[in-house]
Amino acid sequence: MSEGSPHLVVGGVSKRYGPTTVLDHIDLTIRRGELVTLLGPSGCGKTTLLRAIAGLAQPDTGKVELAGRDITNVPPHKRNVGVVFQSYALFPHLTVAGNVAFGLKVRGMARREIDIAVERALSLVKLGHLAGRRISALSGGQQQRVALARAIAVEPDVLLFDEALSALDRKLREEMQVELRRLLQEVKATAIFVTHDQDEALTMSDRVAVMNKGRIEQLAEPRELYLRPASLFALNFVGLSTRISGTVLSADNGKVHVETKVGRLSALGSFQAGSPVIVAARPEQLRIGGGGETNSASGRVRSVVFQGSRTLVEVDAGAGESLLAELSGRDGAIPDVHDEIRLSWPVTETFAFPMEAQA
Amino acid sequence: MTRAAIIVCWVMAIGLALFLIAPLLVIAAASFSPTPVFDLPLTGASTRWYGKIGRLDGFWPSLLLSLEIALFSTAISLVCGTLAAIAIARGKLPGANVFATALVSPLMMPGLVLGIALLQGFRAVGFTAPWATLLVAHLVITLPYVARTMISGLARFDFTLIEAARTLGCTYPGSVLRVMVPALAPSFLIAGIFSFLASFDNYPVSIFLADVRTKTLPIRMLQYIEEAPDPTLAALSTLILAGTVILLFVSDRVVGLHRMAGTSD
Repeated sequence: MSEGSPHLVVGGVSKRYGPTTVLDHIDLTIRRGELVTLLGPSGCGKTTLLRAIAGLAQPDTGKVELAGRDITNVPPHKRNVGVVFQSYALFPHLTVAGNVAFGLKVRGMARREIDIAVERALSLVKLGHLAGRRISALSGGQQQRVALARAIAVEPDVLLFDEALSALDRKLREEMQVELRRLLQEVKATAIFVTHDQDEALTMSDRVAVMNKGRIEQLAEPRELYLRPASLFALNFVGLSTRISGTVLSADNGKVHVETKVGRLSALGSFQAGSPVIVAARPEQLRIGGGGETNSASGRVRSVVFQGSRTLVEVDAGAGESLLAELSGRDGAIPDVHDEIRLSWPVTETFAFPMEAQA
Repeated sequence: MTRAAIIVCWVMAIGLALFLIAPLLVIAAASFSPTPVFDLPLTGASTRWYGKIGRLDGFWPSLLLSLEIALFSTAISLVCGTLAAIAIARGKLPGANVFATALVSPLMMPGLVLGIALLQGFRAVGFTAPWATLLVAHLVITLPYVARTMISGLARFDFTLIEAARTLGCTYPGSVLRVMVPALAPSFLIAGIFSFLASFDNYPVSIFLADVRTKTLPIRMLQYIEEAPDPTLAALSTLILAGTVILLFVSDRVVGLHRMAGTSD
């Protein structure tokens, strides 16, 4: 199959557990070789969607196609998927090599071929020297790699990662994110990650699906997801932002003018006059000073947090509203706490979302 | 802890161990007694009582019966007890805890009460075949050992392993056989040994269900003591003891005795 054509197609998949709708008509198409993350809070349905793809959860409606084959009613052992579980789920009675060989043995591969495949998979994850070890003698990071090698060894049509990095400590996790992405691109794997960690999602994926309440709120490349969030939920879940509530005064060609407690602001979007909305902007768009055709608001600096390459400044704009600006040292003066400052930001980088979406 | 306290603890521990082991040493010594009446100090050693074991009246049928009942009840308990334990540990049954307690309750019941109850119960439904009643009664005795061991074994078992095996190409039954059974092998061994021993040396339940032709080994042994108390019985006891020690030693090599005692996992 050529690159770019649909490799995994999830069509109208729904799943209910009793009165709870866990998946609500999910549509998702993934190309061959693509790395996609399902990002969302716990209970958003991301793990259930992964399990539906793996065949471990049967959807109530909809279909799943993998590598041109309808696998909706195919049991997991015939799907040719590779899963890396959160707990790693390594077999304690087998050695490292035994774990990696498991799927190949089940497939009835010849012993010589198994040995070659195991060695190759273990060298990919740089664990060749530990082949004979018992699982209990490995560190968490090493176990993670064995789980990965075991899933890769069977050359699955899609690799599924269920919070696979969440058990590692922060530093190791960040290293693994970069290494895993490089490794998956090297073997040209198609992979789906499930995570609640936005950094992991932005680092690892070609596209991110933000999930909420059993639906995909936005499916976009990491950059687009950050710069053009499609919903208030997506805005909140990925990155920081300033959010101010207000009421739409008027609208003209793709822009709305909103009356807020900190003054009149303009934003991208189309709403009817009188609609309650939330106006939002990313912190790096805010600059000290006012001017021309920009949004601006003023207030007293509440806190200044130095974070190395950037400094986060929170401003109390009065009436319970606050502004969040990210200033880099090069822009000049960083204000002090209690300074009265004015911040401005471009209208083209200001979003408006319907108020009720927050509920 | 202070030094003195540690010494006191050690003295207590060694004293208790001696108290538990000493009678066993006495019976072993008695089995080598050269005279029919056991007397300390020993004036010599003889193995003639061991030769007399096989000639005891009704010994072989009783040994065979006890082995049969112990093996069959252990085998059936392992299957049923494991399935029940899976249901308790895994299925979200309402009242799973009540069911688990009920399953293990014969452990806490006096054997005498259990024996009378089973006898009356079997009579009431017209179930009187001695071999079969003994087997069913011993199932009641052995099932709690298996269920208890398997419930705690399964509590530590990560069922994601089965899912992992399935995604790697195993059918569901295949995953259970290739992953769950080997991972739980120590639990099976422990459950099997406890169950076998509990059945093999049971007296208070068996006595109510045995008849003249169907007597288990412990019943037969008590009968020998009443009839002719010579060191032959000591010899037999020593052999049983040796068999048990070998069984425990082998399992210690395989899984570790600390797991059998339940002091750690």
